[in-house]
Amino acid sequence: MDIILGIKVEDGTIIATSKAATRGISVLKDSDDKTRALNARNLIAYTGESGDTVQFAEFIQANIQLYSMRENDIELSPKATASFVRNQLATSLRSRKPYQVNVLIAGYDTKTDTASLNWIDYLGTQVELPYGAHGYAAFYANSLLDKHYRKNMKIEEGLGLLKLCLKELETRMPIDFKGVYVKVVDKDGIRSIEGY
Amino acid sequence: MSGYDSALSIFSPDGHVFQVEYASEAVKRGTCAVGVKGKECVVLGCEKRTTLKLQDPRITPSKICKIDNHALLVFAGLNADARILVDKARVEAQSHRLTLEDAVSIEYLTKYVAGVQQKYTQSGGVRPFGIATIIAGFDSNDTVPKLYQTEPSGVYNAWKAHAIGKSSKTVREFLEKHYEEDLDDDKSVKLTIKSLLEVVQTGAKNIEVSVLKAGNIIKQLDVDEIKKYVDEIEAEKEAEAEKKKKSKD
Amino acid sequence: MNSIASQFTNNNNNIIRNEINSVTHEFAQQNSLNLVPSITLPPISQPTDFLRAHTDDETNPDCKIKIAHGTTTLAFRYQGGIIVAVDSRATAGNWIASQTVNKVIRINPFLLGTMAGGAADCQYWETWLGTQCRLHELREKERISVAAASKILGNLVYQYKGMGLSMGTMVCGYTKKEGPTIYYVDSDGTRLKGDLFCVGSGQTFAYGVLDSEYKWELTDEEALYLGKRSILAATHRDAYSGGSINLYHVTEKGWIYHGNHNVGDIFWDIKEQEKSFNNVDG
Repeated sequence: MDIILGIKVEDGTIIATSKAATRGISVLKDSDDKTRALNARNLIAYTGESGDTVQFAEFIQANIQLYSMRENDIELSPKATASFVRNQLATSLRSRKPYQVNVLIAGYDTKTDTASLNWIDYLGTQVELPYGAHGYAAFYANSLLDKHYRKNMKIEEGLGLLKLCLKELETRMPIDFKGVYVKVVDKDGIRSIEGY
Repeated sequence: MSGYDSALSIFSPDGHVFQVEYASEAVKRGTCAVGVKGKECVVLGCEKRTTLKLQDPRITPSKICKIDNHALLVFAGLNADARILVDKARVEAQSHRLTLEDAVSIEYLTKYVAGVQQKYTQSGGVRPFGIATIIAGFDSNDTVPKLYQTEPSGVYNAWKAHAIGKSSKTVREFLEKHYEEDLDDDKSVKLTIKSLLEVVQTGAKNIEVSVLKAGNIIKQLDVDEIKKYVDEIEAEKEAEAEKKKKSKD
Repeated sequence: MNSIASQFTNNNNNIIRNEINSVTHEFAQQNSLNLVPSITLPPISQPTDFLRAHTDDETNPDCKIKIAHGTTTLAFRYQGGIIVAVDSRATAGNWIASQTVNKVIRINPFLLGTMAGGAADCQYWETWLGTQCRLHELREKERISVAAASKILGNLVYQYKGMGLSMGTMVCGYTKKEGPTIYYVDSDGTRLKGDLFCVGSGQTFAYGVLDSEYKWELTDEEALYLGKRSILAATHRDAYSGGSINLYHVTEKGWIYHGNHNVGDIFWDIKEQEKSFNNVDG
């Protein structure tokens, strides 16, 4: 029942991930960060089968970093990153033990000065979206975002919209997800937003 | 031909593995590379071949390679061999981060590179790497500069300042004479360039220099910056010569 | 792996061999000629499914092989280091197999691993982890970090994911770089860093006591008592936990063993001292 949510705004992308790490009937940790920075302007948020998630995210992280090293500090664009991740998941799907991981990739392309949000599931479905979520959060947040999302919102407006989503999730989700970590990816890189 | 140099994994009766020694010859033919350890920095410099008239200098690869955010490698010898070794080192650096949750230490990286080189002196169907490398950098959360060298045989050593490649003996002797402990950044760069000028006749445009500092700071000097040092060094040399001449008179 | 093995061991699949066999049968009265070296395998196509069917007493109470499962283990970080406390009961189904199991594995003088789930799995792989840590130490001339040690174990169990390993463990240790550190590692590959974990069938009972009295500023004495008391609470309520309590304190100098405390003895002392456990007359 992990929550991962992404909202693209005019000059950046916002990612929110729940802090709870639950195993059986116990919350083992209330400060679990379900994201990994792939490079300076690409952030992956993940949910899915425990074990698979972190293994997959860190594997992707290492490969994206390796790319930067090989190519003389050129960083992979958000689009290329998303394609790479999708391809890895699609390849894994037909293997003996597929990764059961769903991800969101928030990125900022410095060449075109555009923010992006890529939604990818474990089957290898990839779409570029203005806003998206995985898991149960999607059932509540999507309708809400369908109604209130506007193109070209500022980051502050996006964060306001996120607050609205979180309020609904806190009201209706059957278990406590211990709050969320919020991160923004924009032209200056990846930064955490405190106070959630 | 003595017959002991046809296969790699064969000793000659007096204990030589000729192929490995030939690899060292390839290193001696490669353009010169220098590493100098300062108080708070490590400087790597190398001779850059003159680009031909129709060659595009922008996409001609550099001999100073970044292995990870905190580690540089410079080599002397066969460029093509180096590419393979550098890639292996880069993969290992990332793999180390993935499995140990820590960046590689410079000693570990050196040991790994030397280990790969050693493996290619003892395996069937392969030929040794025709390169020597100088590996420089800082361990994570550390301000002590590190400088190592590896050879085709798989031997590795730590140095305060070192040179490999063509005329490396001249450069090494120069460094031995002029090296001082705890050089500041500027003096370290100057010593690097000065030592290279011993064997590079064509000046700034044929020299490449990178400076590494603690906290993943890597600075590649551009031609103008190098030229400034070269001019400075030449002016000093002239003044020296003038002084000598005067004292002779 | 199994499909490959069966391909080479199953007589019917190999047409050429069948042909040879049929010929030799005619002439030499030999009904099989073994050309390929083979391994004798149990007649099972999926060992994982087999293992699950015969060892999972939760879905099948009549299963033939019962793996030791029930446990309460805990570890927490506080101002003075780490406290590790565990019970000592091993159960196989409803049968108490042992009351004197050592559920803390001393990986090396600075690292402890706790044991919950399959006893054999934990014992073997944590001892194996000890060898890996020692090799790291020899190669790098430096003690391994708790992060790296726990990751070695985490990566190992992840390789075996879905193949029947059953482990829930806490890797506890102290290094200069990290300070006192606890990592939770389990057999589905989860690896979490944290201040406080309880693992095993009695985890909820231990959490109950531990969470209510835990604070960072605990003194060593208070912390040791709280660790012991939390396990006692679990042994009281969880039928699969019991026996005695093993207590450890991890400091910058390594771990210190604080003895084995029989639950039957300390229960009455603590009950009288605390005026607690009022559900029990005595």
